[in-house]
Amino acid sequence: MNLLELNWGLLAPELTIIILAAVITIADLVMSDKGDRKIFGWVSIVGIVIAIYFTLQQLGSPVEYLLENSYRVDSFGSLFKLIFLVGTGIVFIMSINYIDKEEIPHDGEFYYLLLTALVGAMIMASSADIITLYIGLELLSFSSYIMVGIRKKNLKSNEAAFKYIITGLISSTVFLYGVSFIYGLTGSTNLLVISERLPEAFTNGFDFYVYLGFFMILVGLSYKIAAVPSYMWAPDVYEGAPTPVTAFLAVISKAAGFAIIIRILVTIFVPIVTEYNFADPSQTEFFFFEATTYLAIIAALTMIIGNTMAIFQSNAKRLLALSSVAHAGYILIPLASMKSPLTMSIDISNMIFYLVVYLIMNLGVFTVVTIVNRDADTEDITSFRGLYHRNPLLGVAMSFFLISLAGLPVSAGFIAKFNIFVSAITVKSYWLAGIMVVTSVISYFYYFNIIRQMYMRPGRTEAKLRVSNSLQFVILLAFLGVLLLGIFPNTLLDFIYQNFNLADLFTVGFQR
Amino acid sequence: MLENAWLVPLFPLISFVLLVAFGRQLKEGAAYVGIVSLLSSFIVALGILFERLGHDAENYIQNFNWLTIGDKTLTVGFEITPLNALMLFVVTLVSLMVHIYSKGYMHGDERFPVFYTYLSLFTFSMLSLVISPNLLQAFIFWELVGAASFLLIGFYYFKPSARSAAKKAFIVTRIGDLGLLIGISLLFWQVGTFEYAGVFEAVEQGLVEPGFITLTAILIFIGAIGKSGQFPLHTWLPDAMEGPTPVSALIHAATMVAAGVYLVARTFPLFEASETAMYVVATVGGFTAIFAASIGLVQNDIKRVLAYSTVSQLGYMMLALGSAGFIAGVFHLFTHAFFKALLFLTAGSVIHAVHTQNIKEMGGLGKEMKITRAVFLIGALAISGFPGLAGFFSKDLILMSVYESGHVTLFWMALIAAVMTAFYMFRLYFLVFSGKPRHNANVHESPKNMTIPMIILSLLAIFAGYIEFFGFGEWITNNGVIAEEVEGPKWIMYLSIIAAFGGIALAWLMYGRDNKVKTGEPRGLHKLLFNKYYIDELYSTVVVRPYTIFGYVLKFFDKYVIGGLVQLSVWFSKAIGKIGSRLQNGQVQAYGLITIIGLVLLLVSLTAGRLLG
Repeated sequence: MNLLELNWGLLAPELTIIILAAVITIADLVMSDKGDRKIFGWVSIVGIVIAIYFTLQQLGSPVEYLLENSYRVDSFGSLFKLIFLVGTGIVFIMSINYIDKEEIPHDGEFYYLLLTALVGAMIMASSADIITLYIGLELLSFSSYIMVGIRKKNLKSNEAAFKYIITGLISSTVFLYGVSFIYGLTGSTNLLVISERLPEAFTNGFDFYVYLGFFMILVGLSYKIAAVPSYMWAPDVYEGAPTPVTAFLAVISKAAGFAIIIRILVTIFVPIVTEYNFADPSQTEFFFFEATTYLAIIAALTMIIGNTMAIFQSNAKRLLALSSVAHAGYILIPLASMKSPLTMSIDISNMIFYLVVYLIMNLGVFTVVTIVNRDADTEDITSFRGLYHRNPLLGVAMSFFLISLAGLPVSAGFIAKFNIFVSAITVKSYWLAGIMVVTSVISYFYYFNIIRQMYMRPGRTEAKLRVSNSLQFVILLAFLGVLLLGIFPNTLLDFIYQNFNLADLFTVGFQR
Repeated sequence: MLENAWLVPLFPLISFVLLVAFGRQLKEGAAYVGIVSLLSSFIVALGILFERLGHDAENYIQNFNWLTIGDKTLTVGFEITPLNALMLFVVTLVSLMVHIYSKGYMHGDERFPVFYTYLSLFTFSMLSLVISPNLLQAFIFWELVGAASFLLIGFYYFKPSARSAAKKAFIVTRIGDLGLLIGISLLFWQVGTFEYAGVFEAVEQGLVEPGFITLTAILIFIGAIGKSGQFPLHTWLPDAMEGPTPVSALIHAATMVAAGVYLVARTFPLFEASETAMYVVATVGGFTAIFAASIGLVQNDIKRVLAYSTVSQLGYMMLALGSAGFIAGVFHLFTHAFFKALLFLTAGSVIHAVHTQNIKEMGGLGKEMKITRAVFLIGALAISGFPGLAGFFSKDLILMSVYESGHVTLFWMALIAAVMTAFYMFRLYFLVFSGKPRHNANVHESPKNMTIPMIILSLLAIFAGYIEFFGFGEWITNNGVIAEEVEGPKWIMYLSIIAAFGGIALAWLMYGRDNKVKTGEPRGLHKLLFNKYYIDELYSTVVVRPYTIFGYVLKFFDKYVIGGLVQLSVWFSKAIGKIGSRLQNGQVQAYGLITIIGLVLLLVSLTAGRLLG
């Protein structure tokens, strides 16, 4: 194949970021060691805005693919890319304010690693071949490993990076082992080819291998979203990583994990039919819609463990790590509620909606955490003491983000939770919906503890807490997002419904 | 202009947000924020009214999808019909007057900006309630209006009586709101929409059973009973007079309490479809009219007399609506807003001067307070139905509607109530303004920013009635409500004039001529009336006391059974968390182990499922 014949335009968002990363790498080499590298951050933000523009252009166009269908542009991938791009853009603004030359001597590296991680996430969302997917996954992972440990002289940061890489390797191994069964059954790494051949293998007596592959892939990928059983790294790594990196892991890395989980599980396992019902096609039984029971168990355990463990945390970042574990459980609910092909489209839309809301409120929270921890020089929850009296607007915004995380009205978090609650109720998974409600109530305990600190405890000082303009902008944006999506959720829901087409996951499309 | 109707509630909302944020710094400058925002709202409302005037003007409705649940879509939006164009005008105008007046009345109060914050919140909620195109949205603002009213009644929270009055208002209206909520929910369940238009259409096409219509109409009416202080939920309104007087004028006379009447008027097609519901509305209204008026005859607190008068007049409006007199009911709502707000503001002016609300300790104030006396007289004449003033026309129309609908008993009750109205108003007038002073206060006329709103309202109290001659009836009904203008016999008009003069003459004979104040304990019928038929005491023994006992039982249940369960669940979730934390020992090999164990457990469960199933 002649590379020149490829339609590089399809790769425009990714190429923008890759070129940006390359340029910054070179510029970093050329620049003197003492030079201020904040400019890289601003340049990256501009590049990300351009990439967002390209991605928006691709929305709504039919499925197109490149390189034997290993790379594709479809509505599902584009929506996720928007999430990654916007999220990373905000992480950049946080980083510019956060990075301290003393602590992070190689700050140039920080910026381009963030970009390569972003590219990894985008590749994960947009490919339909296990090899490409895996490359995206590892590109994201390796960039993250380094970013977690970038505070070179900080013991916790080193320990976190070490733990992150070990657990990451274990998970990758399990994932690859699972994939190897699937490859053995079908002889292909292409998701669409697999989806054609796997049902045959299933009905010809290899059903146990299909289950084996399903479980291993699931367990392997549970690492990326920090769900049971690979959630344990989260508190340690979130605590040790620099706060903007923690935000990146909690939001973008997790969203990328969900993108790849949905892409693989739905594309290759949904077409497997266990029992045809020719008389009444609506009664046909599918493998996937039975296997979702296991997903439901994983979701339930994730919610329970995340929420109950968070009660005991006194470190703000560990608390948010476990809160993000709990949220992974919530977001799995629509996936676990897929019981027939009819609701799949709505369920995935609900997941995307939740991820967007999750992105907004978490970035808001992490921004406030960055400000407060910097000021108090500790990451303990006590650093929030008296925040309301020191900066009322910041206190109110933080309270609102926490209320949204807890899922109370009139916040976007409420609508997002309500939607997935309805997903579970529609398929009569009352127990799962019940666990979600009970664990949400448990979560009030630790979210409101932070609010209590801000309002009712006297602060260390009474001095006014100043916030830089760019961070004020991020907080205002997040605040408006959580508020407006809480009042007018349909604006975003309609956007997702219009732009997400379930069939895209299965169609081959056409090559350009 | 109509498509910009959302601006009307927006201005008070902005004012509310501004005052919450900067109220403390603004101090008494807060008044200007409130006044300017209300003035803007008023101008827009005026524009809307003019645009909606002509006979061929169309209704305007704008809906946005808000939330989709399953196959049902909830909408939010706003609408302009003649009825709510009129309401927007009344609410913004009265609210503007009250905003201006309060600048003088509340002067020097420590929580001056807070007062304006609450006023803005109230006005925002009330205006939003009025333009809501569906029952759900209306209910949300209905509750918000109630919350603002609660805050304002309890504004002087350091007074125990104000605290308990606020609580009482909140709880008693909540009983009505529960009925309303059930009614709305039942309608949604049956019809599948909250929108007025959708509900009316379903009713018109006979998709809803007659029994069901009656049930939901009565449930909605229960909500209106609570908000509009109709018997038997009227007890909160007189107590609500604990709030600052401008609040009484705005909320508990002209606007919020009229929301119940507005709701019945807005859902009129639903009521019209059920004869039983109409009869209930008429009877409750008629009874309340005479019942509250009779209590008002003997009360000594100037604001309480006006409060009972409000309850009685709201009863009139309900009576009119229940007698198919849609035009009469809405017309009276319109005129009453002006003269009742006026009366309350004058009462405030009087209280401001003598620092008491007891009319037995007033007297002779007319000499110093010439303007207040004059505008009070106008208000009193208007509400009594003096020929040529606003109240005369609307009351006359109500009497005709009732007569035409054939409720003879209710007609005579309304007429007697009219005599009583004239009597207690002039009892007030004579005791407060004429005769010799029975107080030692150094009385002055109130400042300009108090008298000017009063003068404007008094002009409206004189002239508002004449809109009847400019096709009011035809205009107000061109939003789809089927109601005919009534033409009753002429003698009704003469009878109502006689009633008004009779009441005034009686008051003059008893209080105006010799200007003596009776002292000593009231006896007999007087005592019964003075104690408001002992309704409060009755509620206290029959409802409140058993409830309190029941409450104690529940408290025990709560403390030991529920509390125990809560403790148990806290202990349980902490226990799970502890186990989780113990696994989290910081050793990375343990983390990897958990991943593998998780995988093994999944495979075991699969195999076990295979073997057993």
